[in-house]
Amino acid sequence: MGSGRMRVFLLIMVLLAGCGTMDDLNPSGSDKRPPEQPGTTGPAVGQNAPDFTLSDTLGNNVTLSSVILTTQGVVLYFAMEWCPICEGNLDSLRSSVIPAFPNVRFYVIDYTCASVAEAYAWELATGYTGSGFTVLADTQQSVLNLYQATMGSTVVIDKNGVVQMNENYKDGTRLQAILASLP
Amino acid sequence: MNKFIFIVICVALFTGAACFLSLRAFAGSCCGGGGGAALVLPTIYQSMVDVSFDSEKYVGYWSPQGQYVYAPVGYQYRLNAGYALRLAQYWQASISVPYVWNNNQYSNGSTRSSGIGDTTLNLWYEALEDESAWKIRSMEDLTPSVMIGPSILIPTGISPYDNKPSSYDITGRGFYRFDGNVLITKTLHPWTASVSLAYGTYLQRPVNREYGKYVEPYEKKLGDRSSASVSLGYIYYIGSAGDTLTGTVSLSTLREENATINGKSQPDSGFQKDSYGATIAYSSTDSDWTIRVSCNNAIKSDGWGKNFPATNIYTIGVSYGFR
Repeated sequence: MGSGRMRVFLLIMVLLAGCGTMDDLNPSGSDKRPPEQPGTTGPAVGQNAPDFTLSDTLGNNVTLSSVILTTQGVVLYFAMEWCPICEGNLDSLRSSVIPAFPNVRFYVIDYTCASVAEAYAWELATGYTGSGFTVLADTQQSVLNLYQATMGSTVVIDKNGVVQMNENYKDGTRLQAILASLP
Repeated sequence: MNKFIFIVICVALFTGAACFLSLRAFAGSCCGGGGGAALVLPTIYQSMVDVSFDSEKYVGYWSPQGQYVYAPVGYQYRLNAGYALRLAQYWQASISVPYVWNNNQYSNGSTRSSGIGDTTLNLWYEALEDESAWKIRSMEDLTPSVMIGPSILIPTGISPYDNKPSSYDITGRGFYRFDGNVLITKTLHPWTASVSLAYGTYLQRPVNREYGKYVEPYEKKLGDRSSASVSLGYIYYIGSAGDTLTGTVSLSTLREENATINGKSQPDSGFQKDSYGATIAYSSTDSDWTIRVSCNNAIKSDGWGKNFPATNIYTIGVSYGFR
């Protein structure tokens, strides 16, 4: 093996090591959650949930601030259409979470649809009609941006309008724990 | 050219082509792919540079129950750069780094993002050498080429745990993975067949951030991964100069077990993907260049995948060997 070629190989390795600014190469388990900021409005835990109005798949407007008055809490799940991860999460939500919390309202935010009709078609095709959650059409991705959400983001808002959780669904265990702790 | 050397060259080049086909089939996906593939250095070369371009079209997905659902919503493009180096007579190492472009298209808009993907480092030991007979005259002529070796996937890509806010930005999975690989190839001119097997396990890691937002820390481990591929090829000799055109078809399967969080299994986090592929590789033994085009398509039917995007991957690649 030529020493020149070995140097090329080592150079590539060094360049890769230079990618060490990426956290995945040396992941941290430190708790870096910022301190809560009660009284402010925003998507973080402890903040007042930003209000919004979206249409459900039947064309009815749903306003968060109005829904909160009638429930123990609200769950928002952000879903892409035709996404296997979301489908798995929603199956779990339907089977394990929704039946255990009858006083909580569950909304699935479809942030990839262009129209209410499209969201309705997706709801029908996936069999989500009447499954315990309401699909809302976020055609402008305004709620997605308000909550700094992405695929699988799950937000819990208590009856006082305060965000109690804003993170990935994973297997729903943490969601159930948060919901169980709601006053 | 000595006939023996000529045969060795053909076999070595074909082995390389077959490996590109079987391993690159799983180079990435629309939901967080972008892993590089392992290169195989033909016998006559001391080192090799390989560059390829993948176009991966998302053509739907398999549900957690294994039902195929059609949904054309995105592309991923990858530029893969690879370098293989012979360390000793029977030992070789390689590195493969992809650069990933994501292009997600939905009814209400589209997004584009790009970044380096996950890097693969590979070590091969050539345990057995195939004499590549034209006719079976003895048991030795049935000896296949057997290569074994470990590889490591390094999470150099953008993962859900990096400081990126959107799932659209993902180019890697965020976990180290160690694989054990076996590649068996047998050539009886002009036919050749290969089997590749791999089993990998991810390292557990702490997670304190998801899509740019810090969360309560937890320990996560992706499920063990196994893959297998079989291929059959035909070598067509062009003229008398030793150039070859090799056509290969393959069938591949990939499975990953459920992930765990704090030791607890996450239902429906594992997946399965089955696919078929074809490659045509042109090798010029005099100029040391190999050019290939290939496709690897998901088997778009119920039961041929689970909880995973179904994609069609089209690849064009070129490699150059240094003697």
